Amino acid sequence: MKKLAELYEDEIQVILAKYPDEQKRSAVMPLLYLAQRASGRISQEAMQEIAEILDIAITDVASIVGFYSLFHEEPGGRYRIQVCTDLPCALRGADAFLRQLCDLLGVEVGETTADGLFTIEEVKCLAACHRAPVFQVQNGDGLEYHENQTIDTARLVIDELRLRAQKPPGGAA
Amino acid sequence: MTDKLVHLTIDNIPVSVPPDTLVVDAAKQAGINIPVFCYHPKLHPVGMCRMCLVEIGRPLLDRASGEFVRDADGAPKLQFSPKLETACTTPVTEGMVVITNSQKVADARREVLEFILTSHPLDCPICDKGGECPLQNLTMEHGPGQSRFLFDEKMHLDKHVPLGELIYLDRERCIQCGRCVRFQNEVADDPVIAFSQRGRALEIITQSTPGFDSIFSGNTTDICPVGALTTADFRFAARPWELKAAASICQHCAVGCNIVFNVRREALQGGRMVIKRVMPRQNEQVNEIWICDKGRFAYHYVESPQRLTQPMIRKDGALIEAEWDEALDLVAKKLTAYGASLVTLAGGRLSNEDLFNLYSLTHTQGGQAVLYSYMAGGDLTAQVGIPPQTDLGKLGAGCVILVIACDLHEEAPLWWLRIKAAAQRGASLIVLNPRTTRLDRYARHVIRYEYGAELAALSAFQPQSRGDLPEPVRSAVKTFQEAENVIILYGSEGLGLQESKALAHACAGLLIKTYHIGRSNNGLVAAWHNANLQGAWDMGFSPINNLAETLSKAGVTYVVATDPAGDDPQLAEALQHSGFLVVQDILMTETVKMADVFLPAQAYMERGGSYTSGERRLQRFYPAVPPPGNTLPDFAITARISQRLGRTAEEQSPARILLQIAATNPAYAEMDYQLLAQVHEQQPLMGRHDLYYGGTTYENRQGLGAHLSTAASRVEPLNIPDAPPPPVFPVQEGLLTVVPTTRLYDRGSLLIHSNLLHQRLAHPTLTMHPKTAEAYQLSRGQTAVMLLEKTPYRVEIDLDEDLPHGIALLPRSVGIPLNAPQAVKLRPES
Ligand code: SF4
Ligand code: SF4
Ligand code: FES
Ligand code: FES
Repeated sequence: MKKLAELYEDEIQVILAKYPDEQKRSAVMPLLYLAQRASGRISQEAMQEIAEILDIAITDVASIVGFYSLFHEEPGGRYRIQVCTDLPCALRGADAFLRQLCDLLGVEVGETTADGLFTIEEVKCLAACHRAPVFQVQNGDGLEYHENQTIDTARLVIDELRLRAQKPPGGAA
Repeated sequence: MTDKLVHLTIDNIPVSVPPDTLVVDAAKQAGINIPVFCYHPKLHPVGMCRMCLVEIGRPLLDRASGEFVRDADGAPKLQFSPKLETACTTPVTEGMVVITNSQKVADARREVLEFILTSHPLDCPICDKGGECPLQNLTMEHGPGQSRFLFDEKMHLDKHVPLGELIYLDRERCIQCGRCVRFQNEVADDPVIAFSQRGRALEIITQSTPGFDSIFSGNTTDICPVGALTTADFRFAARPWELKAAASICQHCAVGCNIVFNVRREALQGGRMVIKRVMPRQNEQVNEIWICDKGRFAYHYVESPQRLTQPMIRKDGALIEAEWDEALDLVAKKLTAYGASLVTLAGGRLSNEDLFNLYSLTHTQGGQAVLYSYMAGGDLTAQVGIPPQTDLGKLGAGCVILVIACDLHEEAPLWWLRIKAAAQRGASLIVLNPRTTRLDRYARHVIRYEYGAELAALSAFQPQSRGDLPEPVRSAVKTFQEAENVIILYGSEGLGLQESKALAHACAGLLIKTYHIGRSNNGLVAAWHNANLQGAWDMGFSPINNLAETLSKAGVTYVVATDPAGDDPQLAEALQHSGFLVVQDILMTETVKMADVFLPAQAYMERGGSYTSGERRLQRFYPAVPPPGNTLPDFAITARISQRLGRTAEEQSPARILLQIAATNPAYAEMDYQLLAQVHEQQPLMGRHDLYYGGTTYENRQGLGAHLSTAASRVEPLNIPDAPPPPVFPVQEGLLTVVPTTRLYDRGSLLIHSNLLHQRLAHPTLTMHPKTAEAYQLSRGQTAVMLLEKTPYRVEIDLDEDLPHGIALLPRSVGIPLNAPQAVKLRPES
């Protein structure tokens, strides 16, 4: 796999320029975003590289990756569909919705579809309890919220994501 | 401390403490134990566990007048916060009223414990911490008898996670106090463990290679308030309440950390007393409450199957077991016959008492007392070393610590910790070394010199000021000249015996010229490579340049506690040529194999004695386990030989030998074993009933030792020999100059017996700059052959861009006898 320094040479310089030299460890978050953008997850090698760029211990980098639930160490699909099943959502049928979604995609929670496009994950409150069921889609570039979902609206979202995936990367986000 | 004291009451007890004292520590001083988990007196407070909640009231201030508001009878009106506060993060203020014994506080404690226990396995019966566990003790004292949470809903996590091969983590026992992580960050500056995940899923991780890569890792097991962190050494090895504690001094470097050997009878060992673990013993002037992992894990040689426990005599070419009388009679006979041609070669792990008797014997025979060491300057540290009242733990602004030719982290780990802390308190650290070391980060000035140029580098600090110094030397010299106190510490980086001698002289000369002698917090310190090299110098031993030649001409050679033949084939050959060879040791070595007579000695934890640390603190160690077989203490063996030669020598009591030392050596004049056994109360208070406060480090009840005076502090005339000629750094066309470095985990004859540390031992690796490797057509990982005095040695090549060009580094004590810089022939292995 390509090193971050090769993929994002300029971006890394721009990020580092924002912090004084003796505080460059503060650049760890933006560098982790880059790493996740590059491969949809943060590999051991990427953590090592970031530790070296910032002159901090790899254990510290791993600790930050572990702290934030939106950083992923394990490989997943191109789109991670994260369904909230916390109590308020559960009261509005999130569990049943999650079940239907799994059936629709033919995978269980934590699994990835055979085409490598979708991983279903169960998450804690997304702060949209009043519009449950709710899920968010995480891809390399960020997050999209989808509220007041039924399995039919979810199907539309998924179809749309499939279409999007066919376009060459770097196209319209 | 001229600061005004702050007055408050805690549970109605009036307390006066310096400003900024935390409530928890103020309470401790009043004899009130506030329970804590995350707080530790040696770490910054974080307030994470909420165990220390107390009620706090503060007097109401009248804004206009700045006076306390008073009620009718004149008492200040108190305002209590609506909620409980954490005693570990709250500093005291004037007039504060703290309540730790109310129902409200008791409820809070009970609830916090109930909460912590919701996901704690409570497997105390199989937990190594059981019996000395803060969580267990606090639960018994303050916890609920029953939980309202469902046992089945506990989070179950991995129980045997090796963080490295030395430390194991039990994930479900961790109560997330963060002490271990903070110790590694704040104290050891090795952030190799950290938290990952959140909430109940929080866990300790390590990503370093090897895992938990820190020479201080064992300390986390002492301060972990539960059985989450345990050492591979002590895991499932014994219950704490079965253990007896014998006070001792670590034997593995010049720091002289105070330790305890925990021992018990072991059925598996036929009911013998055996050592189960090594624990730190508090001495705030030496090691505080910490020890390094070498000190913790390197004791296993004492139980090695290679221990020798019966005298032996060579008969028809083979060493045959003999009785003491027969062996000693033979030695005495040879000594009578060969008189003055005795050469006694002693190792630096012998106690002062052993060395005193050895020196007396050698001296009265007219023989030569030689120290087996590649460092010099013990005569100088005895005169201009740091005198009493010096405390590395208190150095701060106004002090300069100049460290030269030393990789302190490897050579004397605890000094590294303490000098780092001194620098963080404001002492000015000046580091002079040919390559980057872990001390650089805290240094105010870092000066690089080329290997071999240490004298030139130091000469810049001479008082005759020269305007033409380049930076960073100029500012370093300025700092040095402005300092009120100066301590110079030298090590053995890239030096041989001659270089060491020249450097020690230069350092001593500089201190004398700049009047940094004879006063506390001023003077010379050597980072010796053995525990008692300073003591050996004080007892009259010193190393010599032409060791091989001297040995080969000796009529009788008496080698004690060292293995020259195993270290160096040249010395082995010299011993072949020497006359009668008497070897006294505890283990089988190459030198023992060559002996004409072998005398089995006791390991230091099998008898009593004293060591003199590199700071020249005299400290006493006690017997921990009974001696095996037919062994005797070194001092007794030597005494018996002396007696056979018609002299009196003390063979029973090391205490009496110390009195003899005191009578002959003015630095030791006031020393006796009672003095060394004295203690006074130390802060923070350790090892009492409230283990949760400081951890399982032992309180010091057996003696803090005593700092020896120096000739300068006694205001005696100094006797500094002429400076030796500066050695020539070996450079030769076509050859590569290899310099020795010192590593903590070398392959020394004691360390090698501790299997636990095997993965971390140094290898015969030649490290050089990539450009240098290129010039010799070598690459990383390749094996090369290095010719040393015609003997070929295989070395693995490693590269390091931080190193200077044109030289290579080789660790000492890895099976290659390189103890001084040397130009060697190097070729790739064919
Ligand atoms: S392992 Fe021990 S010291 Fe470290 S956070 Fe857990 S309980 Fe605290
Ligand atoms: S620092 Fe030195 S004396 Fe202290 S434990 Fe380590 S090896 Fe022993
Ligand atoms: S509980 Fe699901 S969004 Fe808040
Ligand atoms: S919060 Fe005070 S000891 Fe943990």
